[in-house]
Amino acid sequence: MKIIDYCMMFFGGIILFYMLFVIVSYCTMFIIAMLDLRKRYRLDPSEYDDAHIDAFYSKPVSLLVPAYNEEVGVVDTVYSLLNLRYPQTEIIIINDGSTDQTLQTVIKHFRMKPINKIVQTNIPTKQIKQIYESEIYKNCILVDKENGGKADALNVGINVSQYPYFCSIDGDSILDEKSLLRVMKPIILSDGEVIAAGGNIRIANGAKMQFGSIYETQLPSNYLVIMQVIEYLRAFLMGRIALSKFNLVLIISGAFSVFSKKWAVEAGGYSTNIIGEDMELVVNIHRLIKEKKENKRIEFVPDPVCWTEAPQTLGVLRNQRRRWHQGLFESLWKHKKMTLNPRFGLIGFISFPYFWLVECLGPVVELGGYIYIVVAFFLGKIYYEVALILLLLFVIYGVIFSIAAILFESWSMNTYPKKREILRMILLAFTEIFWYRPLTLFWRCEGLVRFLRRKSDWGNMKRVGIAEKEKNI
Amino acid sequence: MIKLSITFLFTVIALLLVVLFTFLIYLFVQRQRESRFEQVRDRYLLNYSQLWYDYLFNNALFSMVLVPRGAAQVEAIERIFSSYLKNIISENVEQKIKQFANQYLKKFYEKDLSSRRWSIRMNALYRIADLQIEELLLSCQEFEKNKISDEEHFQLLKIYSLFQPDLFMEKIKNPNINYSESEYRRLFVLLEEDVFIRFFDDFNCWPTNIQFAVIDTAAVKRNMQYLDELKKLLSHDVMEINIRALKGLYEIGIIDEIDPFIPFVTSDMWEARLMVAKIFKHVPLAYTYSYLEQLLQDENWWVRSQAAKTIVEDRHGIAKLQQFIESSNDPYAIEMAQEIAARKEGSK
Repeated sequence: MKIIDYCMMFFGGIILFYMLFVIVSYCTMFIIAMLDLRKRYRLDPSEYDDAHIDAFYSKPVSLLVPAYNEEVGVVDTVYSLLNLRYPQTEIIIINDGSTDQTLQTVIKHFRMKPINKIVQTNIPTKQIKQIYESEIYKNCILVDKENGGKADALNVGINVSQYPYFCSIDGDSILDEKSLLRVMKPIILSDGEVIAAGGNIRIANGAKMQFGSIYETQLPSNYLVIMQVIEYLRAFLMGRIALSKFNLVLIISGAFSVFSKKWAVEAGGYSTNIIGEDMELVVNIHRLIKEKKENKRIEFVPDPVCWTEAPQTLGVLRNQRRRWHQGLFESLWKHKKMTLNPRFGLIGFISFPYFWLVECLGPVVELGGYIYIVVAFFLGKIYYEVALILLLLFVIYGVIFSIAAILFESWSMNTYPKKREILRMILLAFTEIFWYRPLTLFWRCEGLVRFLRRKSDWGNMKRVGIAEKEKNI
Repeated sequence: MIKLSITFLFTVIALLLVVLFTFLIYLFVQRQRESRFEQVRDRYLLNYSQLWYDYLFNNALFSMVLVPRGAAQVEAIERIFSSYLKNIISENVEQKIKQFANQYLKKFYEKDLSSRRWSIRMNALYRIADLQIEELLLSCQEFEKNKISDEEHFQLLKIYSLFQPDLFMEKIKNPNINYSESEYRRLFVLLEEDVFIRFFDDFNCWPTNIQFAVIDTAAVKRNMQYLDELKKLLSHDVMEINIRALKGLYEIGIIDEIDPFIPFVTSDMWEARLMVAKIFKHVPLAYTYSYLEQLLQDENWWVRSQAAKTIVEDRHGIAKLQQFIESSNDPYAIEMAQEIAARKEGSK
């Protein structure tokens, strides 16, 4: 009996301490984000967007669209790229040996004609089979290559691209017409001091669309998706903005981010043997910056730039989360030597420990917390009280932070303007700790186990295709 | 101890919930206010857009009903003006807008300039420049005496450049301010030619960011009077300035002699060689082929590619490339020549 008591004391202590640590770090990041967004509240954005519309101010960008079995969504994605308000772009669709009709769909839709083009091999990749050029849109190229994974497809895109910056876009992303302008803004303004930038990702489910762009946002009806909406808002307010302010960002979403080609190539391009290739590239670039002792930055843009389709069923969400967490762990593990290494400055002293403790090992401790509460319930006695404290901390962590994020986002950006929608999100946030949180924690732990067992799969998400929904509305 | 903690946590949660709830109420009230604001704005737009159009374009008489009462109507007018200013170039319209803004909108922006909110002050500064409210110049100078942000200072420079170029030239010399190249370009592109050319007078005294921005802006302005200035910079000690000047000359697109460019064919910097290959596009092939042939065999991929593209642009280009393919023994150069020639033929 005594052993159990010691165990309970020990684990209870660790979990409580961890929860307090996380709550304090989230609070700090939330306050930093709040101050940052408060400054910009009500600033007329059109002034800025318009100032950079001219080719004279902006820098040309190659848009890379890797596609593996994306016959449903790829055409819409290309249209949304054609809609972008940006003076100089080229679109490079890379068909990564799809087994469905992706290649034929693109060839037919954009009247692609084979061309002869010498490609500079900056990064070694799988063989290119053929390059096509659209007869309708001269700046649109299709590369057909052997299957090698998303990272390999992106590397081919980088090799084929001719502009100094490239932007990777997921096959299912829907962009705002000002997306690229917004994400390029820090790069242009800093005269190249910012070498990579990513934007705020939003969930497209439920939004009304026409011709590849979103004209009205609406909260989806599926509870699972609403929970993800809340989760995205929270991640954005309690993480990205604060980290970016101090050049500590380790993840900029692969769904829509811009990189300087020179730096990406020097960092070896996307790694093909790892799941989280976007995080891996960012970490590699950070490493390179520190090694070369250059004053460069990687930035996160708070404006919404990209809309993506969120999983609608538990099964798909489970796959996604498992994969994300496995990728995160793999990257951190690969660069473990950067942790607390003075050579890498704040990245080593703040980013890495934060990602290890909060993002990576967090789910294990938190899940432990849930188990603790259940066990304490059976053990009774003094443990009731520890369990209750833990539960209350979960409430602060899960419920209070979520509501704060919903309200603050609504005040500063107003993505979901209807009162009913805000109330619905708040009500749902109260339920988070009872179902959504434990589920995602469990899946993330699964990802961790898969990493330890070195298991990997492609985990391509099964998509309904956003355009399909467009027709249904 | 633990009991205390539980009560403490309960109190914290309750307090936080109360704060959040209050914020929610505030948010909803704010929404209500915004929606009323929007209603007033939209009503103004609906009622007076046509009157505005008639006044600005059909020389109809100005009616006092157009004078705004309150911020919502000012916003409506801003929308009308901004859509005309962005899409239509007409001196008459611009003049009328300027006159109206100076007379009736001035007081609103003057008030906004003293707002505690940074974003409101920024918006006012944007409008003063966009709507050319010259009468607020003095207020702006007063405003500058406060502790202001870099962004506000930048916007002030823009305002000075529009209303008082001499003051602008004086302010930009201030060594304490340093903007990025693209920001300087945003300022310079708006300058009148006679003001802008003054930057070339003591070119070497400016910080690098301004020097680069001046060259790039000269290229975009495409004015003949900058040709000589840019050519002078080809002999500058700093290689980056040479390359920028080459780029500028290429963009202006008028090449009256090739001698100043010949030394760059053998430059150590591939970017300079690339620019020469580009510049030769604007010169008949007969004068440049021997140099382009040299560049076609360059060690750098981009230079080779550009040289081939330049050759092929000429009427006899393809024939020259074919000749080169047959006689050369540089496999990389041949490959490049073949690709460019094939593409040119394919597009015919």
